[in-house]
Amino acid sequence: MIAQGWRRLAAGVLLLACWWAAIPGPVLAQSGEIWSDDLASPITGLAMSADGQRAAVGTRANEVSVRDAEGNELWTFTADNSITGLAWSEDGRRLAISSEDRFLYLLDGDTGNELGRTKASRTFNSVAISRDGSLVAGASDDMQVYVMDSQGELLWTDERGLGVEAVSIYGSGDDARVVVGADDGRLSIFSKSGRQLLSTRLDYDIKSLAVSRSGGRILAGTTDGSITLINGANGEQIWTSKADAEITDVAMSGDGQLLMARDERGNVLYLDTDGSVIRRLQQEGEIRQIALTGDGTRLAFGLADGQVQVLDRMQHSAILATAARTRNMAITATAGLVALLLAGVILLIIFTTGGRRIWVQHSVGPRRGLAAVWRARFSYLLILPTLLFLLTFNYYPAFSGLYHAFTDWNPAGHSPWVGLENFRFLMTDRFFIASFRNALILVVVSIVKTMTMPLLVAELVFNLKNRYTQYWMRTLFVVPIVLPAVVEILVWNNIYDPAIGLLNEFLELVGRPEWTRVWYGDPKVALSSVLFIGVPWVNAFALLIFYGGLISISDEIIDSSRVDGANVFRRFWNIDLPLLMGQVKLLLILNFINAVQTFELVFLTTGGGPGDSTYVPALELYYMAMRMDRMGVASAIGMILFLIILVGTIINMRYVRTATEFEA
Amino acid sequence: MSAVTMSPTMRRLRLSLGQTVITIILVFLLVLTFVPIVYLAVLALKDNGQIYGRFWSMPNPYRWENFALGWAVIGRSILNSIITSGSACATTLLLSSLSGYVFARHRFPAKEIIYTGILALLMIPPILTLIPAYVLILNMGLENTYWALILPWTSGGQVFALLLCRSFFATLPEEFFDAARIDGATELQAFWRIAVPLSIPILVTVAVVRLVTTYNQFMWPLVAISSPKRQVVAVALTQFTSEIGVTDIGPRMAAYITASIPLVILFSFGMRQYVRGLTAGGLKA
Repeated sequence: MIAQGWRRLAAGVLLLACWWAAIPGPVLAQSGEIWSDDLASPITGLAMSADGQRAAVGTRANEVSVRDAEGNELWTFTADNSITGLAWSEDGRRLAISSEDRFLYLLDGDTGNELGRTKASRTFNSVAISRDGSLVAGASDDMQVYVMDSQGELLWTDERGLGVEAVSIYGSGDDARVVVGADDGRLSIFSKSGRQLLSTRLDYDIKSLAVSRSGGRILAGTTDGSITLINGANGEQIWTSKADAEITDVAMSGDGQLLMARDERGNVLYLDTDGSVIRRLQQEGEIRQIALTGDGTRLAFGLADGQVQVLDRMQHSAILATAARTRNMAITATAGLVALLLAGVILLIIFTTGGRRIWVQHSVGPRRGLAAVWRARFSYLLILPTLLFLLTFNYYPAFSGLYHAFTDWNPAGHSPWVGLENFRFLMTDRFFIASFRNALILVVVSIVKTMTMPLLVAELVFNLKNRYTQYWMRTLFVVPIVLPAVVEILVWNNIYDPAIGLLNEFLELVGRPEWTRVWYGDPKVALSSVLFIGVPWVNAFALLIFYGGLISISDEIIDSSRVDGANVFRRFWNIDLPLLMGQVKLLLILNFINAVQTFELVFLTTGGGPGDSTYVPALELYYMAMRMDRMGVASAIGMILFLIILVGTIINMRYVRTATEFEA
Repeated sequence: MSAVTMSPTMRRLRLSLGQTVITIILVFLLVLTFVPIVYLAVLALKDNGQIYGRFWSMPNPYRWENFALGWAVIGRSILNSIITSGSACATTLLLSSLSGYVFARHRFPAKEIIYTGILALLMIPPILTLIPAYVLILNMGLENTYWALILPWTSGGQVFALLLCRSFFATLPEEFFDAARIDGATELQAFWRIAVPLSIPILVTVAVVRLVTTYNQFMWPLVAISSPKRQVVAVALTQFTSEIGVTDIGPRMAAYITASIPLVILFSFGMRQYVRGLTAGGLKA
């Protein structure tokens, strides 16, 4: 009957899990489409006029295609190199273009005739135009901002001395203002004549800017993945919202009510006016460009594969909202699943032999049970402090972590349930995937390290005949334990120092200067360098454990093996090793658990770099939580590591138990 | 087989040859093991000029003032470490010996269930609770205080300590406590006058293990403490250059050595307890 119950439970859980997994994740963007087209070359520029009557699409293949509201092509323009940016005047009668051919163009929006152009010494990377089309600004890779009038006459330039990749203009006529964001995070507003009116500073490089019609709100996207809304009147930051990756594009409707951003990974974020991310949208293809009409009725995506889509924003939002409802159902499903799992645990207590014994011992009828509890109140009182501590600082965080792995955790406010979204995100996070490969290497190497060298040294010391030497050898090998773990890593940092480190100096000394390296900086050797730390890896703790094990082997066994003529190696394989199985098991578990959670070793040496070559999961967890503010994703990583440790420990216990039974 | 046919002189010769080989290998490994430590000590006594100019020569003159410089930067955080590790250790000892006693000698409903529930925590790796515990501390308004370290450390240490204490208290003969009861001692008196004095060795073991563990803790203080004034030494050492702006290698190395002193003191009398504690805790888990 019990087995039947279990089977039913398992089937139920499985069914629920299937249903839950089938619920769609991120919604595709195709919903609410007005028109779409394929331009066969990556979309590198996208702009729509305020009323949506004109759209311009620029490609890497040097072409700009101007469309009407239905997507019919009106005219085209070809530059000498890839298009990098497009901007419409409010009425759609002027189009400004920036290109890698080092020109900034101003065209007539109806005919495509060129009205003026300005040349920079290097590529233009972005462009902006005033409402009336009287002022055009472009940022160039030569670190300057160029501003020209409607005839293409260069009015002024501003040399920042730093990369500039974001420029925008608001206002018209003489009241037009140029907003410039630079790579040092400085945001400046200039008058039409080039006088700096305001300057403020964000923490990271500004990659894109959008300005509301009045200039009252400025939206900036930066390299750290922040989207910041700035009050255009005084330069104060109103809010900052965090995304997963560098923000490369932002868009805002003219009234500042609709806000969008795109990150480097191709996700599109919809934000509400107080900065919280309403939706995070993933597209099948990689979104390169986003655009929003001034009235906010249409939005457009340009993809890396050349697709352009213009969508009705209202319909699009409505479809997104339906998706949200579907996800709400997933919450109910998951809550059910959790309840079922809990029921499983209770069943476990009731139906397993151990659990049943405990149950039988204590189920003595409600009244007598209560009486027994009351009699033992003093005992409960004494263990109460312990229990309170454990519940608060151990149990609660553990369950909180497991729960929040399924949410977009925002400790200060609302944490919406997102199902498996965090895990799905991790599966696409190349750092996390790389960290897993490295963790595997780390676990294997660390186990090999502890199983070989300390055991070898323990055997050697044990085989010394002279008691005095034996004592001193053992003591000396244990001495390094007095160094704090962090100090050992820091000293090794110094040994690896490319400029004045012991290792490179030593290689110079022995005449092998060609072997010297920037040990942490070379992706090929970085991980090996980290693993090499602590050579010859005679871990004091493992040594003492093995040595203690050897001492406890009775002299009789050793003597009798000697009488049998067994040599040292035979004795090691046939006597020492089997009898040390307990120690091996202990060190195996401890090492596995520690290696999976490796943090300091990487954090203090390479910081995960270069690239992702030394990333480990704990590092990604730390960065996600403390630098990216993605507590939910961090919790998901924690949960994955927990499960790995759990499975590893169980396998280890199983395996080694059979081994000892076999030996016995 | 050959051993049997060999003459006694040959056997002795071979034996001593074996011993020599073993000793040579061990000495070689010892030298390798001590290279970083010797390197650390040498650098700690040089100034930048000596390090860059005469890398391979011994310190000349000895820059003992490096230690004063290092202490000026790191002294405060060593103190922080001692305060937090010490208080957490004391509270852990108090609570876990008390509850260990109760679990060993009292009978009450659901005792084994509660105990199993506590032992289950051994399966929870710190990495899982790191972020949730940080949020908890944040919500309690305790971030950047000593409490942010003391409270979780007190709590976390108890599981292991309880395990050791319970199994130790269970071995104490019941007669001791019967005698005490006959003499009219209360339960708490029996605990304090009989159980605790008898269990000093196990309590020392717990204390040493806990002190070493918390003194070496890195990730939790890194997350929970952001102010350099309250930071513990393990983290402060890594922020040496960035926070204080000291670029000289000598004082930094001197600080590393200084930071080891509490552990040297601790291990000089508690090494055996440390190993026993870790072994017992691990094997029984």
